[in-house]
Amino acid sequence: MRSDYLPDDLKRLWKELASNPVRISPDDLRREARKLWAGVRLRNWFVVGVCCIIIAAYGVFFFGSKTALERIGSVLSIAGAANVIVQFLKRPARTMPDFAAIECIRFYRAELQRQRDFHRGRGVGSWLLPLLPGPIIFNVAFALDRPMFAPLVKLQMAGFLMAAAIVVPLNLRLARKYQRRLDALGAAQNQ
Amino acid sequence: MSAKSGQEEYWRQAADEYGAALERLAWAYEADPDRRRDLLQEIHLALWRSFENFDARCSLRTWIYRVAHNVATSHVTRKKRNAPVFLTLEDIEAQEAPQNVEESADRQKALARLLALVQRLEFVDRQLILAYLEGLDAESMSQITGLSAANVWTRIHRIKNVLVRQFHSGGTDAK
Repeated sequence: MRSDYLPDDLKRLWKELASNPVRISPDDLRREARKLWAGVRLRNWFVVGVCCIIIAAYGVFFFGSKTALERIGSVLSIAGAANVIVQFLKRPARTMPDFAAIECIRFYRAELQRQRDFHRGRGVGSWLLPLLPGPIIFNVAFALDRPMFAPLVKLQMAGFLMAAAIVVPLNLRLARKYQRRLDALGAAQNQ
Repeated sequence: MSAKSGQEEYWRQAADEYGAALERLAWAYEADPDRRRDLLQEIHLALWRSFENFDARCSLRTWIYRVAHNVATSHVTRKKRNAPVFLTLEDIEAQEAPQNVEESADRQKALARLLALVQRLEFVDRQLILAYLEGLDAESMSQITGLSAANVWTRIHRIKNVLVRQFHSGGTDAK
């Protein structure tokens, strides 16, 4: 057996890896921290802005609608968009989690759980699902009142159902993958 | 020392004393050079921010490695495309060594092989072997990862054996 790649030498070998430690100044870091905050704020305002446009558009539809069903659809759409704004203002996106607060295994588990729950639709469901019924009801009412638009609305609904049929199983499969990694992590800790 | 100057002081100490180790850690998590540079910057930014709250309840070294590993873990789990395939130690043992060190006869290639093996380990094993390669003791590894000291040594022993076996698949000396 060679002696030059025994464990102690692996350590020496490993330390040959880094040659140019990164040169960052405190000013660079302050600038990056400010950029990070600005990015998060911009994203939040973008979402709030889009929701305001949805609210304004359905507000106009509400007053211009001929049928009660269209008005119900408009009101639900406005409520769904308002819910998104409330969720964003209540729970603003974090710039960064507290990386120092927890040990690596707990952090890794939390990351895996977060990914698993995301793919299971938890979180997204709380703001996306309330947003859907309004536009669906409005579109159906619109098509009922104006039959010439019915094929377009049918196409829209078919596209939506097909996308759901693909996206949902795919996400559930990814959620199962993260669950398997969580199980493996649990087993590793109990060894 | 004010909180602001303390933050800067701690970060400077981290960058000076652990800059190279942090770069090696980034290598172990990210193969792509551009993404690796981003990861390293992310680690420094997270360290900078974390030092606002550093209370010296653990050593500076433990704090730095914990932050760095957690940032890297987050970086890799966020990466959706080209998600890496992690291997358990059993998987790695079952694989035929791609090329032994005798054939490469070159420390650079040996280093590349070591890096390739480390990059494919599951996070917990990777964190442990990185700490081992950086010369940390079991107590520090335990504080960083959250595993018991006994579990740390058992796992380190297994990972080390697998890595050494991968390097010794040929059997004769190589210089």
